[in-house]
Amino acid sequence: MFLTRSEYDRGVNTFSPEGRLFQVEYAIEAIKLGTTAIGIRTAEGVLLAVEKRITSPLLVADSIEKILEIDSHVACAMSGLTADSRTMIEHARVEAQNHTFSYEEPIPVESVTQAVCDLALRFGEGADGQESTMSRPFGVALLIAGVDERGPQLYHTDPSGTFLRYEAKAIGAGSEGAQSGLQEQYHRDISLADAEVLALKVLKQVMEEKLSNTNVQLAKVTSESGYQIYSKDELQAVITRM
Amino acid sequence: MDLAMQARPMEAPIEAHNHNRWSPYVDNGGTTLAIAGADYVLVASDTRQSDGYLINSRYSPKAFVLSNNAVLGTSGCSADSKRLYEVLEQRAQLYQHRHDRQISTPALAQLLSNTMYSRRMLPYYVFPVLAGIDAKGAGAAYSYDAVGNMQRVTGVCFGSASALIQPFLDNQVRFKNQRDADPNRLLTREEAFKIAVDAFTSATERDIYTGDYLEIFIVDAAGAHKEMRELKHD
Amino acid sequence: MDPVSLELPHTLRGPQATAGYGPTTRTTQPIVTGTSVVAFKYKDGIMMAADCLASYGSLARFRNENRLMKVNETTVLGVSGDMGDFQHMKHKLEDVMTHEYDMDDGQALGTKSVYKCLSNIMYGRRTNINPLWNSFIVGGVDGGERVLGYVDLYGTTYMADSLATGFGKHLAVPILRRRVEGRADEITEEEAVAIMDDCMRVLLYRDCRAFNKLRRAKVTAQGVEISEPYSLATNWSYAESIVGYGV
Repeated sequence: MFLTRSEYDRGVNTFSPEGRLFQVEYAIEAIKLGTTAIGIRTAEGVLLAVEKRITSPLLVADSIEKILEIDSHVACAMSGLTADSRTMIEHARVEAQNHTFSYEEPIPVESVTQAVCDLALRFGEGADGQESTMSRPFGVALLIAGVDERGPQLYHTDPSGTFLRYEAKAIGAGSEGAQSGLQEQYHRDISLADAEVLALKVLKQVMEEKLSNTNVQLAKVTSESGYQIYSKDELQAVITRM
Repeated sequence: MDLAMQARPMEAPIEAHNHNRWSPYVDNGGTTLAIAGADYVLVASDTRQSDGYLINSRYSPKAFVLSNNAVLGTSGCSADSKRLYEVLEQRAQLYQHRHDRQISTPALAQLLSNTMYSRRMLPYYVFPVLAGIDAKGAGAAYSYDAVGNMQRVTGVCFGSASALIQPFLDNQVRFKNQRDADPNRLLTREEAFKIAVDAFTSATERDIYTGDYLEIFIVDAAGAHKEMRELKHD
Repeated sequence: MDPVSLELPHTLRGPQATAGYGPTTRTTQPIVTGTSVVAFKYKDGIMMAADCLASYGSLARFRNENRLMKVNETTVLGVSGDMGDFQHMKHKLEDVMTHEYDMDDGQALGTKSVYKCLSNIMYGRRTNINPLWNSFIVGGVDGGERVLGYVDLYGTTYMADSLATGFGKHLAVPILRRRVEGRADEITEEEAVAIMDDCMRVLLYRDCRAFNKLRRAKVTAQGVEISEPYSLATNWSYAESIVGYGV
């Protein structure tokens, strides 16, 4: 009578006898197919770096957007099914604007993260009184970077709705190599300028293509200026420093 | 029902039977004032609750301490005041749980404005003042109208004796119509306390809806604390 | 219209029904009414009284109505205003108490909770512009503490050592403020009965909707006791000697 694994990964909300939700686990696997993204927290601010896969010379590289602004003090980088992130980012942006409307103050970074994660398990048929927007789990992981009165913070969220705070974190296809690279080279009093170089160095190690100012994207969230994305020239300047 | 509606001649007045609709509001009188200082803020309210010439209660407080130590002072319809306090306190607690920190006075002030405006079609018949300490540690007093219009002030009075007290505050707290005074000077606690007591003692003489007891809340970095004074019971 | 769902015009629920045409579907004026309720604290608990009349305008229509309700083992409710709306509230409170009984958790709903529940219902109804046309006094002993609270059709609430509704606000409250306020801890049951009878007598003399058949309730640590109807001794004779009134 023992049911095989395949019978428990049909329903998105069905636990296996071992207590696992296979669809959620598969969704976490989906992220490992995505491009690599890196986040590094420093005392000055948080740095985000992503790899862009330029699959064709005819592809306009600028049209790939993997770092997005949530509010002027919060941004996020993503890996996995990036289309899925649209719903989550939209939710985060609305939540941030609602907070400002209600309280005339920026939303705390952890609250944005929590809001995104609240959405993560709202798939399947939907519980009573709760509208479900997705029929399956989101196949995307996010690195949420922001600053508030608790200083610069970096959070990682996955499709199970779990979120954890990191000093430095890598997600996506090259995450294993990148994470160990970060582990070796990150130290708590790293400057933002050093973090820029570290992020690109680590990315370079795990990227198949040669790193250039078109196939990576950098952004930072600092206490002084909030969210800023690096222009091509700024990016090139960092690359030259590597 | 639908057929009957369609059959109604166009010129027939809508709700003709509604010529004197019951009013859901009562004015329970009472007065509240707030004075903001450099590192403190003061709220004073009498405790009388009236209904016309009747005194319902000599002690029915209309200033409430919220969980973040801000004080909500009210006047107008007592039922609405109490509900407004409950709603605001609930939202302050919810904020604490959701964001793992106490709501700040300016955030609560904006929330109160939104809460008032959300009842635009059946307003809370309340003229609230909200007083607390802002992010810089300064005393902050906010005054509102019944639909949520908000303003940060240094001296304000609402309620049945407001016409008696506000000009007094304008002169003594905001230094209006004084030739040699510095209009930006903030009162010390002792000055503010005396002015609050004097304002109420005098207003009680002229306004039948103000009296019985005076509750004075002083909020500073250490929290909110209350002082009581007796007013005339007549 | 389905005849089963047809409700009496003056108490029909649903404010949306009044937006258009057809019958008025809310209480716009009280119809069958009860007059004052008087209540105050004394040494052993609280005492409350109301007469047994439900008037239809100036007609003494129902002369054996009970306007004091035992809500639970520690709480009484006195009502004035529309008797139909009161019956609605009575059913609601009975539902709440049945629910409490069903919980079977050995936890009783205290007087303060009953008062808050009642106040929330009254405030909610007035906010929907569909008020229950009543003034209530809730009295009881809650964890050794005497509780006395007032709530009316506006959702206005207040608590005091002595309370009254209707004409009682004008005629009984001044007597109570003199004889009870500040002395609630020293008044014996005997004195409480005397004070209550004096208040009810004054009301009987001057309130044309008052009636000389009344009930008195007391709530003490021993529980709720509501008396059988009784009458007060009155004296109308001295009016003859007063010169200047009438003839």
